[in-house]
Amino acid sequence: MDDLLADFVAETREMLEASGGEIVAWEADPSDRARLDTIFRFVHTVKGNCGFFDFPRLEKLSHAAEDALSECRAGRREADNALVSAVLAIIDRISEMTDAIEAGEEFPEGGDDKLIAALQGSDDIVVASAVMPEAEPANDQHAGEADNDEGSDIESSAPKPARAQAVQRSIRLPVDLLDEVMKGVSDMVLARNDLSRRLREAGEQPTIDGPFDRLSTILADVRAAITRMRMQRLEHLFSSLPRLVRDLSNELGKQVMVDFEGGEVELDREMIEMVRDPLTHIIRNAIDHGIEGPGERLKNGKREIGLLRFAARQAGNQISLVVSDDGRGIDTDRLADKAVAAGLYSRSEIDRMSDRRKHMLIFEPGLSTANEVSSVSGRGVGMDVVRANIERVGGSIDVVSKPGEGASFHLKLPLTLSIIAALTVGAGGQRYAIPRSYVEEIVFGSSSNVEFATAGDRRLVTFRDKRVPCLALGDILGIDEIDDAEWDSKTLVLIRLASDDVFALAVDRVFDHEDVVVKPIAPAVMETRLYAGTTLLDDGRPMMLLDLPSIATNRLHMGEGRTTEVVEEEVVEKGRKAVPIMLFAGLDDRKRAVRLDMVRRIDTVSREAIDIEGNRAQAVIDGSVFTLLGLEFGELPKDRCRLLRLTDGESEVVYAVNEVLDAADMDGEVIPSQDDPLIEGVTLVGDSLVPVLDGHALFARQRVQRRTDDVLSCRIPGDSDWARTILEPLVEAAGYRIAADDGEDADVEIQLAEIAQPEQSAGARSVIRLTQDPDNAGADGGTIYRYDRDGLLAALKQARLGRTA
Amino acid sequence: MTDLLLQCLVAGRHAAIPASDVQSVIEIEEITPIPGTPDFILGLTALRSQALTVIDCSLALGLDKTVAEDDQRAAVVEVEGHLYALLVDAAYDVGEALSQPVAVPGGFGAGWQRAARGMVETESGPTLLIDTSSLIAGPMEEAA
Repeated sequence: MDDLLADFVAETREMLEASGGEIVAWEADPSDRARLDTIFRFVHTVKGNCGFFDFPRLEKLSHAAEDALSECRAGRREADNALVSAVLAIIDRISEMTDAIEAGEEFPEGGDDKLIAALQGSDDIVVASAVMPEAEPANDQHAGEADNDEGSDIESSAPKPARAQAVQRSIRLPVDLLDEVMKGVSDMVLARNDLSRRLREAGEQPTIDGPFDRLSTILADVRAAITRMRMQRLEHLFSSLPRLVRDLSNELGKQVMVDFEGGEVELDREMIEMVRDPLTHIIRNAIDHGIEGPGERLKNGKREIGLLRFAARQAGNQISLVVSDDGRGIDTDRLADKAVAAGLYSRSEIDRMSDRRKHMLIFEPGLSTANEVSSVSGRGVGMDVVRANIERVGGSIDVVSKPGEGASFHLKLPLTLSIIAALTVGAGGQRYAIPRSYVEEIVFGSSSNVEFATAGDRRLVTFRDKRVPCLALGDILGIDEIDDAEWDSKTLVLIRLASDDVFALAVDRVFDHEDVVVKPIAPAVMETRLYAGTTLLDDGRPMMLLDLPSIATNRLHMGEGRTTEVVEEEVVEKGRKAVPIMLFAGLDDRKRAVRLDMVRRIDTVSREAIDIEGNRAQAVIDGSVFTLLGLEFGELPKDRCRLLRLTDGESEVVYAVNEVLDAADMDGEVIPSQDDPLIEGVTLVGDSLVPVLDGHALFARQRVQRRTDDVLSCRIPGDSDWARTILEPLVEAAGYRIAADDGEDADVEIQLAEIAQPEQSAGARSVIRLTQDPDNAGADGGTIYRYDRDGLLAALKQARLGRTA
Repeated sequence: MTDLLLQCLVAGRHAAIPASDVQSVIEIEEITPIPGTPDFILGLTALRSQALTVIDCSLALGLDKTVAEDDQRAAVVEVEGHLYALLVDAAYDVGEALSQPVAVPGGFGAGWQRAARGMVETESGPTLLIDTSSLIAGPMEEAA
């Protein structure tokens, strides 16, 4: 509400400023019709706004002025000087009251009636003269400011000038200007990236790097601020709805209340404008078809007044907006009849549909459940247009309906028009972006769960018992012919269109998730019907955004209402809390599972990125080093290795697998297993037993090696080069800290047999003796040959156990 | 007549683009191809944070593609809110038009005729004045 109030104040001010000059001119020539109209509009608008905000005094004043002025306009009254003065006095009073409202103060009582009386042309000259002295200088001020383009506030007539400083000022700007600034900032970011690359190439330069970092930070802040500038609260959209609802319900003889929630959610201004029409249509639809007349409602045991609820929530980069009514719900049968009558579906197709699917019929073109075309809805613009519009801005719409209880429309909208979450994929050596909202799943063509088949020329892919058509991106774009053999090497992106159609898009590679800024493309490129826009990569190179719905329509005749039977009926039965797990084949090709929550992503790296040496196995992914696990089951593949990146929320490890098989729900029990410490237990997936990795154990093992506090210390001979350069790293790798010289108590001491010991120095709880001569090993109760790595590590481990035991 | 023209070489012929249409002349370094588009659309190139659609003028006129030189120069024009880079063989100076564009009896030859506004006199002799928006539409219109 505060926001709206600020708007009211700003608008009133703006009008006062604009009409400042008019007022003076009108005063000079009271018969000037154009001036009169302007001033009339001003008081009229103020009156309208006051009614909305419940400012009875303001309303009364503006109402009186409006009455008097309309008399003049109608020619029933002559605009004499007395009237002009009285109107001016009222306008000044409005200005003062507006200031008071903004400052949150009470305007001193009284005086209003006298002002209003002055309008009546009574000869109460005292009042007029009492007001005039204050009014006139103020008018001059107005005129002066109207000429001034900067047009700031008009506090001059405010009785307490000190208050003006506390007022939060706002200005209105054309959106074009904002866009231009935003574009400038984007350019700056690109220039910065370029500069940063050059600086990196030039090596470290402390005198430049510091200021450059500062510049980067400032730029990031500016960018965030500019983005915020484009945001507007949903309240702005909501505020226009009560009136619409009122008008519509009056027209239709219904009574409807509105309820808003989440007006503070912010959305891109342009996005607000884009959803205004679809939302209006949904409202029309709800009031016209959904909410019953008062009589019918009472008969059904509902309140006489229908309720229309708007609830908005922000979830990450998306806004969800739910419009629900408590009317009769969607008449599924009639909808189905219409669909059959319109020839969209056959009766048998309809019969096979679930209720949910039938509800979605409302979005099919050419359907309207209203029997007669009313003036409100059903005038040829159907819900199909609503859906098309919502989808055009990258959103989606869904409907849920319960007979007799009402229907609700769920809109999901991206935060801004221009930034979308995208998946970047590669084909023919180039990158393309796919809006992430379409991506359902990504599978590897080589996975054993994926089967390719052909029917005629159409390639089909079967995945998880679903057979869907498969398109190769290279083929669609005409850059790549694919041999049968090549399919295995592709990555399949399963695309679910808004119409619920699913198809698989085969690409060479999936790169990354990225938020991209989408820009429009030239009409000649649009004509290909392959692309929806273009975007720039970080390095400034352009990348095309694929237009999946249109590709699907052209290649598969999908979407556009003609839905195939792939539509998955929702699995309703959600028995016990099912835990999602990922099934994979380990290096030994045995099937195992890991809890899906632990899997952060799946990486495919080349064999060179993996380094295994002794007990240490690490993999390099995107410049970071991860500990590699899962090697105990077999050899790594020779060329490319598939790694699961697992996380416990803080640290990450990678787990080598041969293949990622499937995702499944683990709804059965996990039968604990004692034998294998890395296995949490086994569970039943389908008909087979699958061992489930013990995340705890995986990461626990990790921690032992990384632990820095409370490590055992080990003293090594300080005067031996061999000990320092060769032994020390080994001991450290085994989890020991090298003890400082002599003074400290060490947990373990390593002695070299060949070097004379300076008698037992500070205490060590156990001693390991090493010898240079393999033949001497074993003698003397546990002397170890110095290159007997296993023996040495075993001894160190023994020492550790000895202590922790 | 004080119309300024950007004089350039297209398909080996002298041609001119109204300088008022041209935002700048750039050297194109890298072009990202857009598969599926007509030949004359070479792809996209980035100018600061904007993507330009690169049009090969010779191909757009329905003529043979000329051999690409090392520095590929292009005139940046805006048509209906979209930015295009018109790739020319060579871009010369901006000169004054010394006459109104006039038609030449018999036309300018296939291809040229469609995208030409007429012939203008310049200091370096008669030059064909190119109409940017019909150039950008490409040779397809004739086929349709």
